[in-house]
Amino acid sequence: MNQENTLEGVEGLRRIESFVPDEMNELCLELTHAVYPHDEIYGPTCTVQEYIDCPPDAVYQYLANLYSLEEWTWSTRNFSAPNAEGVCVGVDALADYTKIHCRVEANPAARTVDYHCAWDQGDELWMVYLMRVIDAQTVLNKPGSVVLWTNCHHPYYDKNPFPETAPKERPVWVGDLWPLFYAGHLVEIQNLKAILEHRHANNLAIGPHVASVEARRGWGKVA
Amino acid sequence: MMTPISIAGVASHFPEQLIDNQYFFDETTGKKPIMFRGSKSRYHLSPEDTSAEMIEKAAKKLSAKLDFDMAEVDIILTHVTLPDLPFTGCGADVAQRLGAKSKWVVDVNSAGCVSFVYMMALAQSLMTTSNAKTALICNVQTAAGRIYSHPENRTNPQASVPGDGCGVALLVADDSRPVKAIVTKCFPEFSGDMTVASNDGRKWWEPGEVPFHIDFSEAKVAKVFARGNRMVPEVIRATCDQAQMKLSDIDALVTNQPNPIFLRNWREACLLPKEAHVQTFEEHGNLFGAALPICLERGLETGQIKANDNVVLAGFSHAGDFAAGAIVEWRAA
Repeated sequence: MNQENTLEGVEGLRRIESFVPDEMNELCLELTHAVYPHDEIYGPTCTVQEYIDCPPDAVYQYLANLYSLEEWTWSTRNFSAPNAEGVCVGVDALADYTKIHCRVEANPAARTVDYHCAWDQGDELWMVYLMRVIDAQTVLNKPGSVVLWTNCHHPYYDKNPFPETAPKERPVWVGDLWPLFYAGHLVEIQNLKAILEHRHANNLAIGPHVASVEARRGWGKVA
Repeated sequence: MMTPISIAGVASHFPEQLIDNQYFFDETTGKKPIMFRGSKSRYHLSPEDTSAEMIEKAAKKLSAKLDFDMAEVDIILTHVTLPDLPFTGCGADVAQRLGAKSKWVVDVNSAGCVSFVYMMALAQSLMTTSNAKTALICNVQTAAGRIYSHPENRTNPQASVPGDGCGVALLVADDSRPVKAIVTKCFPEFSGDMTVASNDGRKWWEPGEVPFHIDFSEAKVAKVFARGNRMVPEVIRATCDQAQMKLSDIDALVTNQPNPIFLRNWREACLLPKEAHVQTFEEHGNLFGAALPICLERGLETGQIKANDNVVLAGFSHAGDFAAGAIVEWRAA
C-alpha cells in the first residue's frame, strides 16, 4: 500500500505536497506568540529540563535509585524497603501525615526513569514522573547530561478518587498544586543538578548517600 | 536636565488612491496571494504625489486644529520611507510650503518604523540645548505606491502589506501634556538584516529594467520575527520602568503595525486587552513610521485614548536595529 492510500481519509494533515512553504510559513507565524499563558504551556503536561555537568550513566543510576528522591526532591522522605511489587512507602512532608507510594521503572539502554507514585494508597500508582537522561555530548556537543522530566495532567489531580484513604481533615490534595508544578519541579531539578554537579566536580561518590535498604525494614509507617 | 516636552496634537493625510486586495491578484495565473491576513485596503502614492505635499496637508490640518501658525515652528523633523529626491530630504521643501524659517530642519533617515519616537527624543534634545520651543515632527510612508505598485512587485506575497500615509505632530516645550519617559535602544548588530534587492542583482541606484524591493533574507525571517516579538515588549517595559510605572498602568498602546501577528503578540506580552491597542492595519496596512502619529490620532478620534490616559508609543525598526518607547500622559488640552 503506498503512502497516499494509507493517509487517505485522514483529516487535517499539513504536508508539503499539499501545504506549500508559503502556507506553512504563514501558519508558523500565526502560531508563534511573544508570550504564552502559563496554563497553555503547563496545563495538559508539565515538562522541565536541565543540563547537568555529570556523566549520563551516573545521572541515570542516581535517578534509578528510588532513595535518591530523599536527597533531591523538596519533600519526599523516609521510603521503606520495597514490598513484593517493588513499591516503597515514604512520606510527602508537604502535607501532614501523607504517605507516598512509589515504584521505579527504569530502562538503562534508553536511560529512562519513571516513578509511578500515588498519595495515600498504593493500589493505583497514577502519579507518573517521566524522566529521561540524554548524553549531552550527543545533543549539546559537550560532556554531561540533559535531563527531561514530564508529568501529565492525570484526571485524578483534579479530583481525588480515593478520599477515604486521605488523612482526615488534610486541607490539601496533591492536584491542588498542579498550577505550581512547573515551579516546584524546577526547584527540584535544580536540587538534582546541584547535588550531582557537586559530587562529580569533587570526585565524590555520586550516591545517594542515604540509609541502606536493610536499615529501612519496618519503615513506611506514618505517625 | 532635559526640557519637558508635550505633544500638543497630531494630524494625518493620505494619498487619494485607495487600493483593495484585488489589486494584488495575479491576473495572468489567477493565483491569489496568500498574505491578506487582516488587511482589506491601503493607500498608495501616485507618481505625482510627494512627501512634502503630504506633510504640508497634514500640517495645515494640525495648524487649524491647534490654532497654531506653522510659520512660527522652530524645528522641523521629517522621516520619509522612500524620499522624493536622493541627496536631500523634504524638510526644506516643507519649510517653504509652511512659510517657516525654522532654525532646525532635519531630515532623519534612521529609526524607520519607530522614528516618530526617535524624533521626539531629538526634538527634546534640540529644545534642551537651544531656545527652540516648538517642533513639527513628520512621518511619511511612501514605499507602498513607490515600490509595491510596480507590476513585477505587486504579486509578491508581501506586496499587499505596506500602505502609504502621513502623520505629523506638534511638540511644545512645556509640561501641559507631558512625555514622562523616552527610551531609545540601538542594536547595530542587526543593521545588515534588511536590504533592498532587485531580481537582476543591480544596486538600487543603478539603471535597470526591473524594480527593487525590500528584502529580508529568508534565512533570517524567523530570527527577525523572534527579535521583534521580544524587542518591543522589552522596550515598553524599560519605558514604564523609567517613568516608574507598571505595565498595568498603561491605558493605551500605540505601536508600529507591521502585521496583525506582531500587534497580537505585543499586546499579549503587555497583558493588554485588544481595545487598548490602537491600530488601523485593516484599512491602512503597514504604515511604517507613519503608523504612530496616524494611530495616535485615530485613538483620540475614536475615544480609545481618553483624557488623562497613559499612552505608550513604541516600536522597532527595520530588521531590529533600533527600538524605542515613550509614555505620554494625555491630559486634556
